[in-house]
Amino acid sequence: MSELPPFLVAVPLLGSVLALLAGLARSRTGWAVAAVTAVLQTALAVVLAVRAFSGDPIRYVVGGFTAPFGIELVIDGLSATMAVLVAVVALGVLGYARVAGPRSNAFYATYLLLVAGLSGMSITGDVFNMYVFLEITGLAAYALVASGESGRSARAALKYLLVGTVGASLFLLGIGFAYVATGTLNMADLSGQLAEVGHGSPLVQASFALLAVGLFVKIAVFPIHTWQPAAYAGAPDSVSALISALVSTIAAYALIRIVFTVFTVDFLVANSFARTLLIAAAIVSIVVGSVLAVTQQEIKRMLAYSSVSQFGLVVGAVAVANGTALTGAVIHLVGHAIMKGGLFLTTGLVANVADARTVDDYRGLAERFPVGSVAFGVLALAMVGVPPAVGFVGKWYIALGAVEAGAWPLVVVILVSTLLTLAYFAQVIERIFFRESDAASAASAETTTDETLFTDGNGADTDRPSVSFGMRATVLLAAVLAVALGVAAFEYGQLLQPTIERLLV
Amino acid sequence: MVDPVVPVVPPFVPVLLAALLLPFLGRRAGHLLGIVATGVVVPYVWLTPAGQHLPVRLFGFDAVLYNVDPFSTLMGLIFGFIGAVGVLYSWYSKAPSLQTAFALSYVGTSLGAVFGGDWLSLIFFWELMAVTSTLLVWHYGGRAVRAGYRYALLHGIGGTLLLGAVVWHYVEVGSFLFTAAEAGMAGTVAPVLAAVGIGVNVGFVGLHAWLPDTYPRPHIAASVFLCVFTTKTGVYGMYRAFPEGNVAIAYMGGLMAVFGATYALFQNDMRRLLSYHIQSQVGYMVAAVGIGTTLAQSGAMAHVFNHILYKGLLFMAAGVVIYRTGTESLKKLGGLGREMPLTAVSFAVAALSIAGFPLFNGFVSKGIIISASHYDFPAGPFAVGDFHTLELLLLIGGVGTFLSFIKFGYYAFLHGESDRNVADANVGQSVAMVSVAVLCVFFGVFDSALFALLPYDVTTEQVVSHAYVTYTVGHVLEGLALAAIGLVGFVLIKKPLSSVGRVPDVDSLYNPAALYGSRAVVVGITELYAAVDRAAVRTARVITDAVNDPETVLKRSTSRDSVQLRADIGTSVALVTLVVLSAFALMFV
Repeated sequence: MSELPPFLVAVPLLGSVLALLAGLARSRTGWAVAAVTAVLQTALAVVLAVRAFSGDPIRYVVGGFTAPFGIELVIDGLSATMAVLVAVVALGVLGYARVAGPRSNAFYATYLLLVAGLSGMSITGDVFNMYVFLEITGLAAYALVASGESGRSARAALKYLLVGTVGASLFLLGIGFAYVATGTLNMADLSGQLAEVGHGSPLVQASFALLAVGLFVKIAVFPIHTWQPAAYAGAPDSVSALISALVSTIAAYALIRIVFTVFTVDFLVANSFARTLLIAAAIVSIVVGSVLAVTQQEIKRMLAYSSVSQFGLVVGAVAVANGTALTGAVIHLVGHAIMKGGLFLTTGLVANVADARTVDDYRGLAERFPVGSVAFGVLALAMVGVPPAVGFVGKWYIALGAVEAGAWPLVVVILVSTLLTLAYFAQVIERIFFRESDAASAASAETTTDETLFTDGNGADTDRPSVSFGMRATVLLAAVLAVALGVAAFEYGQLLQPTIERLLV
Repeated sequence: MVDPVVPVVPPFVPVLLAALLLPFLGRRAGHLLGIVATGVVVPYVWLTPAGQHLPVRLFGFDAVLYNVDPFSTLMGLIFGFIGAVGVLYSWYSKAPSLQTAFALSYVGTSLGAVFGGDWLSLIFFWELMAVTSTLLVWHYGGRAVRAGYRYALLHGIGGTLLLGAVVWHYVEVGSFLFTAAEAGMAGTVAPVLAAVGIGVNVGFVGLHAWLPDTYPRPHIAASVFLCVFTTKTGVYGMYRAFPEGNVAIAYMGGLMAVFGATYALFQNDMRRLLSYHIQSQVGYMVAAVGIGTTLAQSGAMAHVFNHILYKGLLFMAAGVVIYRTGTESLKKLGGLGREMPLTAVSFAVAALSIAGFPLFNGFVSKGIIISASHYDFPAGPFAVGDFHTLELLLLIGGVGTFLSFIKFGYYAFLHGESDRNVADANVGQSVAMVSVAVLCVFFGVFDSALFALLPYDVTTEQVVSHAYVTYTVGHVLEGLALAAIGLVGFVLIKKPLSSVGRVPDVDSLYNPAALYGSRAVVVGITELYAAVDRAAVRTARVITDAVNDPETVLKRSTSRDSVQLRADIGTSVALVTLVVLSAFALMFV
């Protein structure tokens, strides 16, 4: 049974190849392959998570080369959480994508490649290996963004590609510096060696700065978030949901790994600049992200900027660097993935059902599309942090941690961010539930001009995919999960305790 | 000695119950019940032994609902008696049942106030009195409504001030009970608030305008009730707040005596004239409370007792005149003495009582107060010969009283021939008036009966500073002299007085002031709100514009032709580089 960890990467990788090959034989078989793979992946992740939570971290050495020379896979509570999150979200989005598309086998091959990359990042215990998976993730994500049919997708993907690659390069550069300083790439080994070299050494400091900024690009911290709104808004709905839920999340996970497993808390204590860097990034992201979100008209862009702000919270928790804040960070990562993924799926659903994509389009949505409206409302309120939803628990722990650490500016910013989050979601919720739709008045006109819509509408209207049960179910499931996880989150926080303690040693 | 009654119900309960039942019983049964319920208070209070009964928790604080000491007993006796007489008078003066019910609730809450053994129940009933008396005024409708509104407003303010005083007092003392603070209102702020708050009720000069404004307007029977309870409860409350006296309050009492009597002289509306006399007479009581010695306090309580009798009688007599003639103005009346002899005699008794003529009850109690002002109070700045300042004020008030009642009597009953045939008071009114008139004379002749009711024995030097004897040559001469001055004075000023029109009182100053002041406040607040609103809307619009269309706003503010807010690929990479550089910069700072 101890042979399981590598399969977490191997299964989706094989699935990806299989999907591609199956496409040669028969088109549109990709979804089935992906579904089977995702179910398998989920089962695998859950089994490993149960084991990881019930004892010491699971360690696996790839190819028989013992650590620190070989590549090591390490699954502790944190990695297991991320692995399960990746598998579950991938499965959920598949439920949505079956009808919503894209449907080509190439798409599903890329989809599974992304899952492989993300899973790999979650469980690897080697920094260079992490870089490799980061690149796999990145490339898969660029390709997925480009899978949209419009030119906008292509442009967004190109921007994502260039900026993302710069980020990944900085990350690689950081690893190089660390390697130069220590001669090792294994995370556990690095932490000891870096301490020996000295946390004050410019080489080590530069390595940290490069790694952190590299990951900031991937997390989309202001002001180097610029790829992200374009990518989220330009990608097909399924892809937006998947990458918004997972890519930045795993990048943030990588930041936690790098900061705490590789550089350790001692490094943060010894280098005030590192903490300043993190705090500054957090505060600026939270505030500016929220403000930019308020100014957006397009719902998907608004959600994208909302992510900038929410990941600011997580970076802030990393900067605070105590148990409570880190617990909050992990809970918020999971919660944000569910909520933001759910919101993007809801947005897609609403676009399909009601043809509404901007804030103003959402006027009177509650009458036209009650299911989507309720789901959006619940998820948005959860994101604002209304108890008992999961958004509340994460924020609560982070704020509590910040209070414990006496990081008052951050506390104030967290509280203000709640208000700002409310500001951008409230305007949408208000339009959904308390405004008359002008489509209601236009509806009478529409019934008469129904025929002409097809003739002079832009072609997308004609092949607008129908809305399946799976799409609705996925969205509702996300809304239910956003609330249910909130109830379970405190329990989970307890479960995470040993992992967090190990991180903070 | 009869066994002491075990007090299980405070005296206000039967009265309030009667008030509740009265509107549903029919006029006759209802009024009979009212008479019984108020009349029964007299023996009940008389037989209840002194002490604190019915301790309760009111709003979570210790309170006493039935506190019996000589002060409250005297108040309860006279309140019960005059309440019964008032209901009888109402019954025969065609007062609606509902009005009598309001009157009874007013009586009941007054009884609650004077028997409260703590500030909390006192203020509770005090406020209820303001409400019930306002209802009593309002019920009449017409001109009474606006006056009632002013009345309610002023008493609301007064009650609030007293409430503030009570709260402040509680903070100082830690208990609402009278027994917890023998020296009355504690601290520095509470006494001031209490003096002004109670000052509204007793009609301090300047705060008195509600009295002549309100009391002439409602039903004649309502006036009989109104003239009794509010001001006298005020005097009682003043005693509770200042059991050891207060110089300023004493002088205020003297001023009230002169001011009220002077203004009364200028009035032609009968009940308005009587209302100013309430202020004047209450001035004697307030002066006595202010002096604060046992003699003065006995005088105050005696005067409360007597005043209720003769002032009730005066309002009843004036009421009968109005009832029969429909006229309020003395200028339109005359020669009624022959038409309604019983009313005229009753009025004469009451007038001689209020003026303090020997052999009438006012002479007794006013004498106690004046002797207290002489023996127990410093001479003050304007003493003339043997007469102290306060004493002089009170004597001048006495002259004014004589003057105005000679005027009242002369114009209503003596002057000229009546141009109409009017009947005298009906049976019930007669019974009510005669019974009160008899008491006025009785307590004037048998002063010891009055002394027996007082809290302190005024006839022995062991209790008071100067043993009081009613009928000494000096006293009687003093009384007769005042009467003589009044008579001569009236003959002298009759002509000029009749040409004096309406004399403005303070309310002609503060009614417009309140009107325009409140209008200014309303306009000011509205305009301020509008200004804030405009500013907020403008700010919101600017923000909304910036949020909705940042490009345009930026273009306008930077005066550039095009502004690209979304970073393109090059800018993005540049930004990444900048961040890396700043991270390095941070490292070396």
